[in-house]
Amino acid sequence: MSFARGSLLSSSIFRKQLVALTGLVMVGFILGHMAGNLLIFLGPNIFNDYADKLASLGELLWIIRTGLVISILMHIYFTAKLTRENSKARRTRYEVYTPSADNKFARMTMIYSGILLFCFLILHLTDFTLAEKEGAASVLGAQKLRLFGLVWNSFLNPWRDLVYILAVCSVGLHLSHGIQSFIQTIGFNHPRYTPWILKASVILGIIVAVGFSSIPVYVMVRQHTIGY
Amino acid sequence: MAKTISVTLKVWRQKDAHAPGRLVTYQMNNIDIDMSFLEMLDIVNQGLELKGEDPIAFDHDCREGICGSCGSVVNGHAHGPEAETTLCQLHMRRFKNGDVIVIEPWRAEAFPVIKDLVVDRSAFDRIIAAGGFISVRTGSAPEAHSVPVPKENADLAMDAAQCIGCGACVAACPNASAMLFVSAKVSQFALLPQGQPERRSRVLKMVTQMDNEGFGNCSNHYECEAACPKGISVSNIARMNRDYLCAGLTSA
Repeated sequence: MSFARGSLLSSSIFRKQLVALTGLVMVGFILGHMAGNLLIFLGPNIFNDYADKLASLGELLWIIRTGLVISILMHIYFTAKLTRENSKARRTRYEVYTPSADNKFARMTMIYSGILLFCFLILHLTDFTLAEKEGAASVLGAQKLRLFGLVWNSFLNPWRDLVYILAVCSVGLHLSHGIQSFIQTIGFNHPRYTPWILKASVILGIIVAVGFSSIPVYVMVRQHTIGY
Repeated sequence: MAKTISVTLKVWRQKDAHAPGRLVTYQMNNIDIDMSFLEMLDIVNQGLELKGEDPIAFDHDCREGICGSCGSVVNGHAHGPEAETTLCQLHMRRFKNGDVIVIEPWRAEAFPVIKDLVVDRSAFDRIIAAGGFISVRTGSAPEAHSVPVPKENADLAMDAAQCIGCGACVAACPNASAMLFVSAKVSQFALLPQGQPERRSRVLKMVTQMDNEGFGNCSNHYECEAACPKGISVSNIARMNRDYLCAGLTSA
């Protein structure tokens, strides 16, 4: 698909702003998702109730899901386009290139952390969202604990834990650059607040990585100490 | 007796725009540390000319850090490792005895190499021609006090107007984006009353021209700000982003 030259959708800035806005939608989702997931610390009843409430949203849930899918597709479409243009803008690489700005690892790896977390997203959806929640995989200590049991049993596999922790770390890495990038791209910059926004972006990335990682770690530690 | 050092230079040599280039090694001994970087290159060239070889082509003019002509990527840093310093104001005392110094031209498809370290930066001129000016009536100068300017805006406009158009922002950007240059030029008008009548059309035209020249897209790495010899702030990019959004979504 190509857009008319000079039109908004062909402009580098407007396309970046669409990437920023769709990114914000997903940041909102991730924070909500994390808050919900952390309910697992409060036991199977509260966690399963929360899952039931989400499922009972009906049409609203489908509106949210549609919004998220559109956001993800737009985010990927425009970043793919921008990344291709960026590599075309410098065909001959430097023999020596020394980046000097802050948080350069997260910045230089945005496209890779993005690809990684998209692959993870598919794995994650088949793991939990699309999985059978009443079957044998949900049984914990002779009790059928539905989604709680499913999550618990999944995280008893150390390889799965490793994949999940690596994946949520890449989410955190992506956000540590992405959140402040959203604010700059949308046009907000202030001598007093911008330094804090840069810090807050990194801190939020760490919170997301640690918050999600805490669940598989908790399951493993608890299983090996008191058992379920 | 002045202190001297020996350095190994690896300089990008490219015969013309179409020939393939390569790094050529030059061993330089007895380099006075009080020499500027360009004076050191002058010594290299003197030696090359005496041997009947082609001297290294590099851009330079004022050698005072204000014209924006000079600039190469030195050991991966645009204008070399010194902050807020043009290449001509970089001195050899910044280097140690035995250092290997890799010197490359600005690398961007929008800045094609003409020869060795010299690149064609006329893409910047075309961006300015697209809207980097104000259409004023001719005639006698108006009374200065008739157009009041807030002090804060005057300061920010002057900060933006410090841009010398050297292209280090493009060279340092991992995406070869020209956003810092264009945003500085957009900002210096957007901040002043004289720039208001054409504010929306200016940002739309200059960004369109920037995109057409084949620069990359800004992904907020802020390498441009770190490399800029005039310390132009990326807050100008944010200003251009919001001006562009407003101008693009509203009609005049």
